[in-house]
Amino acid sequence: MSAIALTLGPVFFHWSPDRLSDFYRRIADEAPIDRVHVGEVVCGKRMPFSDPAWPEIIERLERAGKEVVLSTLAAPATVRERRSIEDLCTDERLVEINDVTALPSRSGKPFVTGPFLNVYNEASARFLIQRGATTICPPVELSLAAVGAMAGACPETEFEIFAFGRLPLALSGRCYHARIHGLHKDSCQFTCERDPDGLAVDTLDDQQFLAINGVQTLSNQVQAFCPAPADLTSRGVRRIRLSPHTCDMVEVAKTYRALADGREDPKAARFILSCLDLPSTLVDGYAHGKPGWQAATSI
Amino acid sequence: MVTGNTEPRLPAVVRHLFPAFAGLPLGPLLTLSLRSLAGRQPRLFDRLGEHRTACYFIDPIDLAFAFTVVPDAERSIVRVVRKSEAATSSVQIRGPILTLLSLLDGTLDGDALFFSRIISISGRTEAVLALRNTIEDAELRPADLLGLRGALARLVDTGILGALGVVRQMADRNSRDKAPEA
Amino acid sequence: MTSGRMELVCPAGTPATLRAAVQAGADAVYCGFRDETNARNFPGLNFSAEELAEGVRFAHDHGSKVLVAINTFARVNDVGLWKKAADTAAECGANAIIAADIAVLDHVAKNHKQVRLHLSVQAAAATPEAIGFYATSFGIRRVVLPRVLSVQEIAALNRAIEVETEAFVFGGLCVMIEGRCYLSSYATGKSPNLNGVCSPPEMVSYDDEPNSTAARLSGFTIDRYEPGEPVGYPTLCKGKFKAGGKTSYLFEDPVSLNAGGMIAGLKAAGVTALKIEGRQRGKGYVTEVVRAFRKAVDAVEQGGDAIEIDRILAGQSEGSRQTAGAYSKKWR
Repeated sequence: MSAIALTLGPVFFHWSPDRLSDFYRRIADEAPIDRVHVGEVVCGKRMPFSDPAWPEIIERLERAGKEVVLSTLAAPATVRERRSIEDLCTDERLVEINDVTALPSRSGKPFVTGPFLNVYNEASARFLIQRGATTICPPVELSLAAVGAMAGACPETEFEIFAFGRLPLALSGRCYHARIHGLHKDSCQFTCERDPDGLAVDTLDDQQFLAINGVQTLSNQVQAFCPAPADLTSRGVRRIRLSPHTCDMVEVAKTYRALADGREDPKAARFILSCLDLPSTLVDGYAHGKPGWQAATSI
Repeated sequence: MVTGNTEPRLPAVVRHLFPAFAGLPLGPLLTLSLRSLAGRQPRLFDRLGEHRTACYFIDPIDLAFAFTVVPDAERSIVRVVRKSEAATSSVQIRGPILTLLSLLDGTLDGDALFFSRIISISGRTEAVLALRNTIEDAELRPADLLGLRGALARLVDTGILGALGVVRQMADRNSRDKAPEA
Repeated sequence: MTSGRMELVCPAGTPATLRAAVQAGADAVYCGFRDETNARNFPGLNFSAEELAEGVRFAHDHGSKVLVAINTFARVNDVGLWKKAADTAAECGANAIIAADIAVLDHVAKNHKQVRLHLSVQAAAATPEAIGFYATSFGIRRVVLPRVLSVQEIAALNRAIEVETEAFVFGGLCVMIEGRCYLSSYATGKSPNLNGVCSPPEMVSYDDEPNSTAARLSGFTIDRYEPGEPVGYPTLCKGKFKAGGKTSYLFEDPVSLNAGGMIAGLKAAGVTALKIEGRQRGKGYVTEVVRAFRKAVDAVEQGGDAIEIDRILAGQSEGSRQTAGAYSKKWR
């Protein structure tokens, strides 16, 4: 096994069951990815659409030798949403926890903490490790140095860094897709489906800034953190997370695999990513302890 | 900087209240007030933190001159300056003199005054905020700043605070007129 | 938990404001230390250990409680600073510590059993399972509810949990789920979770342009005002943006929360304490708001009707626009 593993995070966007099936079929067949997260994390209202598609997707991925992780909702509210978390937590597969709601039913069994769970220091990491956390993907605003410091203090657990994709910046009780279309969340008409990479939000002076995806706010810019493998391994960070977009994710995965194996240098990897059909420009400020929108490394 | 004979002095009636310092120009007199305040209430200046050494340009728009203030406790300096000297300061605060004075006693909300544009602020916003929060906690009365005590203090406070009450009503009316209500 | 009199919890950014809030009728005041351990880490605000001790004495002498917010997330390799803050709060005689980080909660639960633990809104615990987890693990006695729940949902939640609930009724309003919003660090590098600040003042600029003033944060234009038009503080989520061909206050209009009309509803929903936001506000503001809410809460406790409550709180609009936020379901 390679020193650095690749994880494909859950799809944040409202993709149709067909799009999801096509996407994961290609991932299963072509992407050099070790672990794949499946499931809806942003909005419980989307679950009735995607739920029927998951069993076949999971089967396909596992047949291709991928480790499948079941991701759970980041902001559960209704009884149905809470029950879905509880059900997923009984699964024998690895489960990703994105809200404390899942902890009582998953404690004692292995789990991943996702970037929506506030793990900011070694003490809270250790608390969660004692209850079953085997992989920790800390909040995106933490720098590599901070993630590395946690990893150094908790060598028994894998730490994962969010390296690629629009950054998940906020969740709300309010649905912005509904609001912009003059609707309410309770009768939203699923307008978020029209924007499979999120809808760009610019400032009054046309600066690219954010993107909305239903109740979620993401960065407009695309995180593309391309560290040299030693930058990660020397700090004990052993996983890279890639977040799905409509661009060629197989190519993204191949690029990161080559980067992690030392076959591609960071600059070249970044250049290859910049040539893909991405929704915005590349940034990596957070990883360097700077504002997230900044591109600390030039292409 | 405005110096020597051109420096404005306190009106005769106010000068009468400070026989010891009546001969001082306004800048040194206010410097002295601020430093003696620092002697009496040293904790007050701690609240400013790193902004103690910031230079605040205070421009009463209805006066012919402005001030620069470095509120560094017993190293404080107040200078009377020309209006054109704003550029060298870290923060610029502009507004009618009575309104600016009314911020001192803290019952008039700095936020409300700023957002309704009765006072205007430019430069390092964090330094303004630190100053505002410091003044807010200080519970200063005009006499405190002048180092007055007893009956004289009460007299000065009554006079100045009375005038400020009028300003406050004006500010209140102004902010309610301008902002839409829902 | 519905039987007792509702507690009014009021903000204190400085010792002077603490005294003002207590004198205006606060049952409890909340405050924080002058560092990044609390979520209102603004220049010139908050308490030294000495000031907190004095504040606690003053509050206790006047029959009020002091709740100390240590509600940011401890920095890696620096957890000691947050633990020390909790130790100091306990030594000063604080009635409760308001915390969000597991590391802080765990420390207080293990070392200061005599101090009540309140779960900060920054922990964003909105389900019986999440609240149950914090209650079982750390013995929290109260949860400050995330501002995403409707009154009906709060009632259902209260039936399902064992701990008290505290609900925001007045002041600034976060549109995003608190404790899980990184918009500020994305633009400025500083965030509520990391540094206790949102849209930090040192990154704010008001730029005068030929026929307008632009309010910018870290160079991003958040809003623009006509000459003479009241300006706002460029808080990210209250800005005007372009999306889908429309220019609008996409996330939230520049409004503040006023759930004064819902006090009776919140009481019926089993809420123990009502919270007023505004540790960054002056004592004049705090005095006025606390006084009005004191009267309103007392009137509700004595069975006053909606018209009476509206009349009491009528002066509390400050000229700004207000909303009942998520308490009313159509906000979503």
